[in-house]
Amino acid sequence: MLRVENLTKIYPGGTQALKNVSFEVKDGEFLVIIGLSGSGKSTLLRCINRLIEPTEGKITWDERDITAASPKELLKIRRNIGMVFQQFNLVKRSSVMTNVLSGRLGYANPWLSVLGIWLSADRERAIKALERVGIGDKASSRADALSGGQQQRVGIARALMQEPRIVLADEPVASLDPVLSHSILQYLEQLNKDGITVLCSLHFLDLVHRYATRVIALKDGVLVFEGLPQEINRAKFKEIYGEEAQEVRATSFEAPA
Amino acid sequence: MTAVPPQKRSPLIAGLLSTLVPGLGQGFVRRVYRGVAILLATLVVTGMVAWYGHPAWYFAPAGMWLWNIWDAASLAGGQPRTILIPVIFGLAAAYGIGWQVVGVNFAAASLDRALAVARPMIHPDLIERASDKNSMWTPVYVPCPLTGSSPVAQREHEGMVASATPNCGGPTDELTLSVSGMWPDTDTQIWWNTAIGDTNLLGGVNGNSMLVVRTDANGSLTTTIHVPLNILMAQPDKTLTLEHQIFFDQYHYTGGYRISYNGGYAIKGMLETVTMALMATLLGIILAIPISFLAARNLMSGNPITFAIYVIVRTILNIVRSIEAIILAIIFVVITGLGPFAGVLALAFHSVAALAKLYSEVIEGIDPGPIEAIRATGANWVQVVRYGVIPQIIPPFTSFTIYRWDINVRSATVIGMVGGGGIGLYLIQWIQNNQLRAVSAAFIAIAVVVILLDFLSAKVRERLV
Repeated sequence: MLRVENLTKIYPGGTQALKNVSFEVKDGEFLVIIGLSGSGKSTLLRCINRLIEPTEGKITWDERDITAASPKELLKIRRNIGMVFQQFNLVKRSSVMTNVLSGRLGYANPWLSVLGIWLSADRERAIKALERVGIGDKASSRADALSGGQQQRVGIARALMQEPRIVLADEPVASLDPVLSHSILQYLEQLNKDGITVLCSLHFLDLVHRYATRVIALKDGVLVFEGLPQEINRAKFKEIYGEEAQEVRATSFEAPA
Repeated sequence: MTAVPPQKRSPLIAGLLSTLVPGLGQGFVRRVYRGVAILLATLVVTGMVAWYGHPAWYFAPAGMWLWNIWDAASLAGGQPRTILIPVIFGLAAAYGIGWQVVGVNFAAASLDRALAVARPMIHPDLIERASDKNSMWTPVYVPCPLTGSSPVAQREHEGMVASATPNCGGPTDELTLSVSGMWPDTDTQIWWNTAIGDTNLLGGVNGNSMLVVRTDANGSLTTTIHVPLNILMAQPDKTLTLEHQIFFDQYHYTGGYRISYNGGYAIKGMLETVTMALMATLLGIILAIPISFLAARNLMSGNPITFAIYVIVRTILNIVRSIEAIILAIIFVVITGLGPFAGVLALAFHSVAALAKLYSEVIEGIDPGPIEAIRATGANWVQVVRYGVIPQIIPPFTSFTIYRWDINVRSATVIGMVGGGGIGLYLIQWIQNNQLRAVSAAFIAIAVVVILLDFLSAKVRERLV
């Protein structure tokens, strides 16, 4: 169980990205976070693994206080929280293999990993992770030689290397076309069914309906909705996204089941 | 400017104002920028013509002035006139005066002189036919002693005998040379080596070419020469008798080719040049890496102190980069003395500034995304640098460094000319001695190395980007 209490983030420029946000995520949930660009979704996700330091508030995970963790504890906590990004955030010039292996850095011997030496067990695990996302044959390609969808799958494989118990996905499909969106989200759904808690920010209402087990909505850094995906109808959607919002359907055809 | 609505004003007043002061009429119709530009352009062109002092060129500012009156009057009616006309007047004056200032004189570049330079260069002194050499010399005494008799001008060596008769002589005196025991039926080059080691040719008119005489079937030859006219010119006491030498050189080709004497120096100089560039680039890298972090805006704009450092470092880099390496070399030659080290320091100095700027731009262009992703895996600081930062900066760093080395090799060829070592040092000596065949050999050495490096560096950089 992940518990967020009164989370507030004020950036040095004075922008208040999160205001007193509180919610809970039970183990095994697929929690979708919706809200306009700039509503604080990314900040919220990054506060959970403290890539961004919260200004106030408390985040606890199974009675472990993430916000109070020492730098060393934080590294241990982070390695169990995988993260997937909108822009994939791969090292473009490195090979797919290196990118996936870097997900294992939290476990690897620091000195050997700095020298670029990896245990064969880690390499096998990386190949398995790539096979799991269907690109086992791309291990030696350069990351930027892959298509957008393939790069995001490398991003998921990298997160898998962490043996995560939570995956934070920051708009994982916003840079992809609708068909690919479904294929990527299905991998996340698969992880979720294997028992990994997923926190995912999304923009498209039909994707929310299709994948979420629960939804929270942010507006200007304030939690404005918490509930089941079915409860979000057009009216609610307009309330969250503003009157001028037009729902764009992610796709008119269903992804293969 | 575009926001200003067209103003209808009196064309007469606008024209009169522009007649008095170019651009004033345009200002009067609220086209202030146009007016200022016309005034400045007219002043610059007038100033240029006044400086050159030839009154015929005043047609240009006069033309601009007339156009400006026409333009002002038209503008008052809301219709501007094309600026192409004053631009053509201005350019005509600038290029016309420029032509005369630099003294363009195609007649001076005469074909005869060009050919005189080009002809020897067609045969570069880089390789020559491999040959054996047979050499003999005899002493000869110049001038004859005032009192007493001269030593005998004869020498025996390995079965060969060479002599000059008489034993001594002054400038232009006739001498009979004979040599025996050399290779038979072989062309023999005969030349004079002075007491201080200067070479004097003995053939042609006043010794303007090599004297070549063929030995007979017994390996002997006899010929007459005149003592070179200027032989005593460098001698303070022109009555002092000194021993000079007359050489008899024979060659026969043994088949195959070898690198000639000067060709060897061209190659040696080129290797020295490449090494200089390598050392300069290495020094450049070592100093540029730490400096580049101080010159990276994204790292330094955090607080006013670091930003001030950034501005200062950038300014210094820009100043140093604007000074050509060859000018730095002139300064370093004064500090360290002639030789490759001065050249290396000059190139290194310039390389630091150039590389630090390029490196800092690489650092500024780092994508923060992968760094964030690596941090999210629980990696420690060193691991984040190793897996998130280094892979992003190493390829462009390497690419820029190879490119810099490439540039340094080219600069190093020139730097020798001001005493900085390398092939330039030999090249400038050959140019000054009119040894155009050796110059040509140096050109070949430079071209081969530069083209090869250019090709290789392009290939390597292609793979890195």
